[in-house]
Amino acid sequence: MADTSFTTEGLGHAYGRIAALHSLNLSVPRGRTGLVGANGAGKSTLIKILLGILDPTVGSATVLGMDTAKELINIRTVVGYMPEGPCLPLDQTAADFLVYAAGTAGLPPQAARQRASDVLTLVGLDEERFRYLGDFSTGMKQRAKLAQAIVHDPELVFLDEPTAGLDPSGRDEMLNLIARLGTFGIDVVVSSHVLGDIERTCEWVVMLDAGTLLHSGPVGGEADAGTVRVEYASDPSQIAGELTRAGAIVTTTGNKIVVRLPDGDPYTLIRDVSAHHDATIRRLDSGGSSLEELFIHHGQPL
Amino acid sequence: MSDSTGAVYDLGYEPYAGERRGRGGARRTIIADGIRRVLGLRRKARRKILPWTLVIIAVIPAIVAVGLAFFLPAGAADGIDLASQYGQFYVLGGTIALLFSSLAAPELLIPDRKDGVLSMLSSRPLTSNDYVLARFAAVVSVVAAFLLLPQLMLYFGEAGTHADGIFSGLVDTAHKLPKSLFVGAIYTLTLVPLAFVVAGLSTRKAIASAIYVAGMLAVSGVADGLVRQADFVGNRWFALLAPFDTANSLALWVFDESNPDSLLSVAHISPLIGLASLVVLAVVCVLIVLRRYRRLM
Repeated sequence: MADTSFTTEGLGHAYGRIAALHSLNLSVPRGRTGLVGANGAGKSTLIKILLGILDPTVGSATVLGMDTAKELINIRTVVGYMPEGPCLPLDQTAADFLVYAAGTAGLPPQAARQRASDVLTLVGLDEERFRYLGDFSTGMKQRAKLAQAIVHDPELVFLDEPTAGLDPSGRDEMLNLIARLGTFGIDVVVSSHVLGDIERTCEWVVMLDAGTLLHSGPVGGEADAGTVRVEYASDPSQIAGELTRAGAIVTTTGNKIVVRLPDGDPYTLIRDVSAHHDATIRRLDSGGSSLEELFIHHGQPL
Repeated sequence: MSDSTGAVYDLGYEPYAGERRGRGGARRTIIADGIRRVLGLRRKARRKILPWTLVIIAVIPAIVAVGLAFFLPAGAADGIDLASQYGQFYVLGGTIALLFSSLAAPELLIPDRKDGVLSMLSSRPLTSNDYVLARFAAVVSVVAAFLLLPQLMLYFGEAGTHADGIFSGLVDTAHKLPKSLFVGAIYTLTLVPLAFVVAGLSTRKAIASAIYVAGMLAVSGVADGLVRQADFVGNRWFALLAPFDTANSLALWVFDESNPDSLLSVAHISPLIGLASLVVLAVVCVLIVLRRYRRLM
């Protein structure tokens, strides 16, 4: 069994003259991985290269230890893919489509029917199995898309923006489903531009910006219990200066500061310094978002 | 108060440890889905109307001919001789098959592109060639069956009206079956690849169907005019521009029902050259679709 979900070596891709990925070197362990970055960061391009839908312009990649250039069919036998865009035949029922999806992954007809039924139940569409996909709501379509990606029990599933277009409750349900996939023995690579989604569901994060790698590491590895995020009503540069003089590590972006105090209570310090400057605090988050801090650290706010 | 208690069980997730048929299984699934899709099976009722209407139109003449032959055997005055009907039935069935192909090929290729299903299939153990050839096999199977159904009815009808009984009839007329299969293959080879290439390059089903039917009729008219009316060296070769006329001529030739007025006869072109032109055309059409899908998947 391979130790990595995927690896890349000097991987690059260009759409004509526009470079989408630049010399990417990655080694991502098994488990749930988040690909995070703004729109156009190269997340979907990376997934498509790993699935063999796109050929890399330079470099190479492996998925579950198999070379994408040489063992594509073997890779596709054991992976699933939920594309960002539509992928459902609108004139088929959910049950028929899932049987078809399982069959195209190589499952025999009887097994395909059984798996279709099980997976529809798993994603909460068992009551809707005989409805046509064209009559589904956006949330139901997203679930059907997830169902087709896992109907053949893949070892690894790529989910491209799985929460796109979902309302808060639909998003919550989808994230719960994704988090559960790990307990089924299915590794996940999920792309999103929403940091919170990645933090909630993933153990490893790969950050991309404009096709370059910003960071690859465990989620929470960079977290710090002594970190506080504060948003002020006015320019906080004087406050930031005083906090720094008091021993805090401060990152400033506009009216926001992220304060980390290695020794001591950051809240007391922030309260005292803010009161001294008579500053109005709009928002204060305990701990802050570790991924967002990392992005801010790289100067790439989402 | 009841003593009974209930419990909610999470059925959990059952990993699949059974057989995986890989590429071959995926191809068979796409062929089977294609056949169902063309015939509107497991689809809404309105999807069934057009294909099944055409199937009924195709078999009604054969049912009528066989029915009449039972009442008016070939030996009687004004009797119906089914033995001489095979080629003519193919000419009629071929026209209906042309309409059927105009519906079938777009139905197989266009929705998968329009609804984004290709992006799902791109992650399956398939190549773009596998997908295209599986879809092609599906439409070929249905159109071939569509063409052969009236022929089989004629065959069994002729056997049933045989003077020495149906079993002697089945044996005596068995030599017609290879010819029927061959002509069915010629029509399929003529109609399906062209419909396939039009569907592969079109974005809307109705437009693809219209372009295909109008195109077939237009090239037939132009070729006919150039062969019969034009007066320049080599004009006779334009007969090969009209694949449907070529198929009709070949059908009659195979059943020894040659028509001296057919385009190939007028142009003095050997049926074998006509057949070769159809094969070349079919190969070119399939290659175009394969190339197009290599960019899409």
